[in-house]
Amino acid sequence: MGEYMYFVCFLLVFGVRVNAEIERPRGVSISMASKYEPNNKQTFQCLDGSAQIPYEHLNDDYCDCADGSDEPGTSACTNGRFHCTNAGYTPKNIQSSRVNDGVCDCCDGSDEYEGKIECVNNCKELGKKLREEQDEKRRLHEEGFKKREGFIAEASTLMEGKKLKIKELETEKAEIQEKLKELEARKTEAEGPEKEAKDKHEQAWKEQKDAREKERQAGKAREAFDDLDLNKDGFVDVFEIIPHLEFDIDSNGIVSEEEAKEHLEDHEKVDYEEFSSKIWGNIHSIYKKLVPDEPQQVTPPPVEPQGDTGVPVPTEEPQEESAEEDKMPEYDEETKALIAAADEARKNYEEADKRSRDIDGEITTLTSYLNTDYGKDQAYAVLRDNCYEYTDREYTYKLCPFSTASQRPKSGGHETNLGRWGRWENDKTQVYDHGQNCWNGPDRSVKIHITCGPDHQLTNAYEPSRCEYAFDFITPCACDQHSQPQVKEIRDEL
Amino acid sequence: MGRFLLVLRKMAATTIRLSSYLCCLWLIVQVHSVNRDNFKTCEQSGFCKRHRSLQPGQSPYKVLMDSLKISSSQISVQLLNTKTNVRLVLDLYGLQGNTARLKINELEPLKPRYEIPMGDVLVGEPKQQDLKVLDKGSESLTLGLEDNKIVLTFSPFRVDFVAGEEPVVSINAQGLLKFEHFRKKPEAPAEDAAPGEPAEGEEKKEEENKEEEKKPEQEEEPMLWEETFKSFHDPKPNGPSSVGIDVSFPGFENVYGIPEHADSMALKTTKDTDPYRLFNLDVFEYELYNPMALYGSVPVMWAHNEKSTVGIYWNNAAETWIDISSTTADKNFFSKIADLVKGNSEMAQMDTHWFSESGVIDIFIMLGPRPKDVFKQYAALTGSTELPPLFAISYHQCRWNYNDQDDVKNVDANMDMYDIPYDVIWLDIEHTDGKRYFTWDAHKFPSSKDMLNGVAVKGRKMVTIVDPHLKRDDNYKVYADAKSRDMMVKGGGGEEYEGWCWPGSSSWPDFTNPEVRNWWASKFQYSEYDGSTPDLYIWNDMNEPSVFNGPEITFHKDVQHYGGVENRDVHNLYGFYVQKATAEGILMRSNNEQRPFVLTRAFFAGSQRFGAVWTGDNMGEWSHLKVSNPMLLTLNLAGITFSGADVGGFFRNPDSELQTRWYQTGAFQPFFRAHAHIDTKRREPYLLPEENMKIVREAIRKRYSYLPFWYTLFYHGYRSGETVMSPLWVTYPEDKSTFQMDDEYLLGSSLLVKPITEQGAVGTNVYFPGSNEVWYDIETYQSYAGSQSTYINAPLEKIPVFQRGGSIVPRKMRVRRSSSLMVSDPFTLVICLDKQGEALGDLYADDYKSYAYRRGEYIHRVFSFKNNILQSSNADPNGRGASREWVEKLVIVGYPKAATSVHITVDGNSQSLHHSYDSSSRVLTVRKPDVNITKDFSITIQ
Repeated sequence: MGEYMYFVCFLLVFGVRVNAEIERPRGVSISMASKYEPNNKQTFQCLDGSAQIPYEHLNDDYCDCADGSDEPGTSACTNGRFHCTNAGYTPKNIQSSRVNDGVCDCCDGSDEYEGKIECVNNCKELGKKLREEQDEKRRLHEEGFKKREGFIAEASTLMEGKKLKIKELETEKAEIQEKLKELEARKTEAEGPEKEAKDKHEQAWKEQKDAREKERQAGKAREAFDDLDLNKDGFVDVFEIIPHLEFDIDSNGIVSEEEAKEHLEDHEKVDYEEFSSKIWGNIHSIYKKLVPDEPQQVTPPPVEPQGDTGVPVPTEEPQEESAEEDKMPEYDEETKALIAAADEARKNYEEADKRSRDIDGEITTLTSYLNTDYGKDQAYAVLRDNCYEYTDREYTYKLCPFSTASQRPKSGGHETNLGRWGRWENDKTQVYDHGQNCWNGPDRSVKIHITCGPDHQLTNAYEPSRCEYAFDFITPCACDQHSQPQVKEIRDEL
Repeated sequence: MGRFLLVLRKMAATTIRLSSYLCCLWLIVQVHSVNRDNFKTCEQSGFCKRHRSLQPGQSPYKVLMDSLKISSSQISVQLLNTKTNVRLVLDLYGLQGNTARLKINELEPLKPRYEIPMGDVLVGEPKQQDLKVLDKGSESLTLGLEDNKIVLTFSPFRVDFVAGEEPVVSINAQGLLKFEHFRKKPEAPAEDAAPGEPAEGEEKKEEENKEEEKKPEQEEEPMLWEETFKSFHDPKPNGPSSVGIDVSFPGFENVYGIPEHADSMALKTTKDTDPYRLFNLDVFEYELYNPMALYGSVPVMWAHNEKSTVGIYWNNAAETWIDISSTTADKNFFSKIADLVKGNSEMAQMDTHWFSESGVIDIFIMLGPRPKDVFKQYAALTGSTELPPLFAISYHQCRWNYNDQDDVKNVDANMDMYDIPYDVIWLDIEHTDGKRYFTWDAHKFPSSKDMLNGVAVKGRKMVTIVDPHLKRDDNYKVYADAKSRDMMVKGGGGEEYEGWCWPGSSSWPDFTNPEVRNWWASKFQYSEYDGSTPDLYIWNDMNEPSVFNGPEITFHKDVQHYGGVENRDVHNLYGFYVQKATAEGILMRSNNEQRPFVLTRAFFAGSQRFGAVWTGDNMGEWSHLKVSNPMLLTLNLAGITFSGADVGGFFRNPDSELQTRWYQTGAFQPFFRAHAHIDTKRREPYLLPEENMKIVREAIRKRYSYLPFWYTLFYHGYRSGETVMSPLWVTYPEDKSTFQMDDEYLLGSSLLVKPITEQGAVGTNVYFPGSNEVWYDIETYQSYAGSQSTYINAPLEKIPVFQRGGSIVPRKMRVRRSSSLMVSDPFTLVICLDKQGEALGDLYADDYKSYAYRRGEYIHRVFSFKNNILQSSNADPNGRGASREWVEKLVIVGYPKAATSVHITVDGNSQSLHHSYDSSSRVLTVRKPDVNITKDFSITIQ
């Protein structure tokens, strides 16, 4: 007990530094050392309280405690931990299974004390390197952080500008809306008389055309009648129908009397009057003029359209009427004037309407810009509308932040869309997805791993899984902590 | 094979511009979308059709007794085909170890028929055993072979094998012997169908009788002189050459073996299907539960019943089909040759019908009588599985492909970060320079030695793929060398055979030529294989061989090999020789010091001597997980004990439950490798959701903790040809209920495994064999009585595995990052007591990697627990190895009460040990005996 008091005094005097020099079992950290002091019963209490074991069973290469706490310095417990002090570098807790396995896991070599391997203590070198790296990292971070401040301000200005622009556009749109109403009324006003005049003109033309057509049909009927009336007796009779194979109703190759009669509406013969009024209307579409000497048995098959242009080869008889006759005469001057007036009203309206829709588009774009999540403090907004490239052996990869990710072969060829802006997976990872579909696989997608760096730069691109890409991107935008990155304490030599 | 499509796509997209080539690719792609059509049915195979159309009945063959020659261990006699007058010669040999050999060849063939060179598949000339003439009558000759009788019946010809008083094997009992002798091609096939010259001096009468029958028979026979499958023409320059015969197993209801098929362990009758086919093929997305051929062939079949186990090995490397039917035995006949047939009950019988496209009939009849006897008999013929180095039976991490050195480094680092042990990381075809094997992609793997050394620091190894097809590129050293030495297989016209495989236009070295094999082996010298180190091992894929534009995706049948042999004759041996040559190369590079490791996809009987086999391109589906058990059991029965299936499935993206269950299953199968297709999502175990990752990690660690047990099992397999993963009937041969059980199996005779292979299952019925046995859950030590089934809860984290009461299993509980980091760690002995409170077990150990054990540097301990004393003694005085391994713990399961004291005695010195007892699980734990494993010791409990 006296010893204990003395020890306490000692502690009070010399503080923590002295505590570190206490003999402690192998593999125990200083902070845990007190738990491993022998008690007066010379037992050790497993740290989880599950058992009490003789003190000599501590680190005797046999696992007694369920939590592995009795073997901090051997490989006996599957769930144990070995503490390397790693003086000069950072301390480390390793799995007990890495103690004396022939692999140097601690830079001080303390995990390999059985001599399976000679471990060189390189903690000092590592510590020096780490400090240098951390200094560099800190420097870069601070530099980046300053840039980031600038970007935030820039982004904010940008945003304000965009917001202002939206306001302007909204004002303009309201004005145009007003104007549109007026223009639409004017348009309606002008279109009424225009339509009336046009309809009138067209109706007159139609009547004229119909009359002309009727006349033409009559001419055709006469021609056919004369043609059919072989004996020129002024009648077309059954026997004059028979030579015309087109009247073969049952397609048996001959025109029977019954068939002929059927076409003559059950008459033995008809005169021109009857022919033109009753018969011609029914047969004019099938009637064919007899070709002498070469009686046509079978009509040749229609010519198939050829090539893959898909343009059908016309099979109809050429139109007899001249194009001239079919063309509607020009509108009269009065109508023309009405049309011109209406055109003017329409044009005015459409222009205004287009502007209105353009404004909608612009607002949508701006709103979407503003609604995008640019990360903490909107710092990443400055990356938008920029693209960054990285080229490896085969491909050039391109990242246009908040827009798209793509790749194109260095040797030339098509660009492949690897994904469109999707979301932040966390504050340092972006996802671009729904890219071009992979043959036999998923749509392409990219994960962007973002770290703090001095400039915006795409530093690596790879494909960890087929069609699932990953980019490494550094940017000052990610230097978001004012203090330097969390650095583990480097333990100085005691 | 599934890889194939993707590569075509890549090739088409990047390098290939020739439209004719694209056309060719397009055709292949078309072909592959309908996979079944790529492969012949029996109907599409001339000789299969011809043999299958034979009807059982009177055989036209009779024995010509005048020609009989008898020597001490062999008889030789002529057989006459009474229809064609062609003579055959039958040789019957007695062999040591209850084995006989029956060979049938032409008496005077036009040219020698192909026989597999001695020493290639058969390890050597089998040792002969005297045959005694027991009886020589006018109708039959009876020979004695040890305790068995062999009865040769003259007319019609048949041979029966009687073990004790039980007829067990009958040959040609159905009269299906058909031997297509070599003949001259008829000038005009329609006119002259007579096959060859009739032999001289035959009775005219018979000849005349048969004359009429000859012609119609000939005409009916299809595709004798040529045949065409799809667009592929087989000119068959030697004409018909097939051989076939029936083999019956009277008294048996179950037959097993003849891998490789994706089918149940107990073979099915083939009445309503095609016969089982043995023809090594690269089958894209193979279907389950059918007799189609797969990547490898082992023509060995076992018949098993409560009384005995017998089997045959059909020593023929040509395409082979086997029909199976079940029937009842002909008791009338058997009553004449054996004093059996008590009562009127019918006797079951399995009839099998074997036919091969060429070669000779060469059957080894193995008469058991116990399962372990037939394995030993078969191992005496074709060899046993070599003792693998320890890393090879640990966990393998594979993927098509680990992209580059950084990828390898990251996977390695992640496995450590998540504390998941693994021993080997694998590189598939993309690691090469343009699929030129023995090379590295200079950009992705610029410093392969650094990479190899990086993993080797943690005791790990790497495997690269080396396929047999060589890119036809004169700037490719290996190809140019082989070409200049004229080492390639030839096409039918004698030109260097050319076909398509991964690199595009390729040629194949002729591995059937021993000189070519030596040449190939020399390519693995460190000086030849740049960037290789002693930590690099090899994987042979596509060695059926796979030829993308060949008939059935393989060689043309008339491809020419060494010694005037057609691929038709040796097809099923090509992959065997590739692996053999590769293993020899790996062996040679270490001056025969270190054990090689080579994984192969194609295989044949005897491949077990050269490394491991995996079941090829399976799918990430539950059905494929399930079928892995019967497929591996069948491979084990056929001697290929070191075998496994791709964990997770090669194609598709298995969900995390399936992956988890697959790891749990794979951890208890002999070859344990995760593998995935290049199109699949990454699925290294640490990428699983945390819950699954932890369960998978636990399963892998369990594998590592049982490595001493696995290693000992493989040692037994090496010594005696025993299965590693065994059907229950191997240990419980009389238990009929186990004869078709293939979802549950034994490791050795100590561990009973029932992997969960059903989606969503949270439990399963486990059958515990052995009426007097007691089984213990390896986690909880809960006990289960034998000879009954119990429903066992198996939530996702549970693997139903049980240790037999009466066994002692050595484990190493200090699981580290790789197996080689554990070599000097201490053992925990798990002693599960039987009903008498006794247990027995053993442990084999050596340096786990070299051939030093062949110089006696090994230890083989036997542990026995009896009368409350555990005794460790030397099982083998030849083993004189040293070791740093020691015993840290005894776990005595099923112990009735707490002990009062425990003492260990070593070298006459006694010392007391701490101990504790858990009364709820009835487990007595003995603390730290701290005795070196090489020592004799005893531990007494009071």
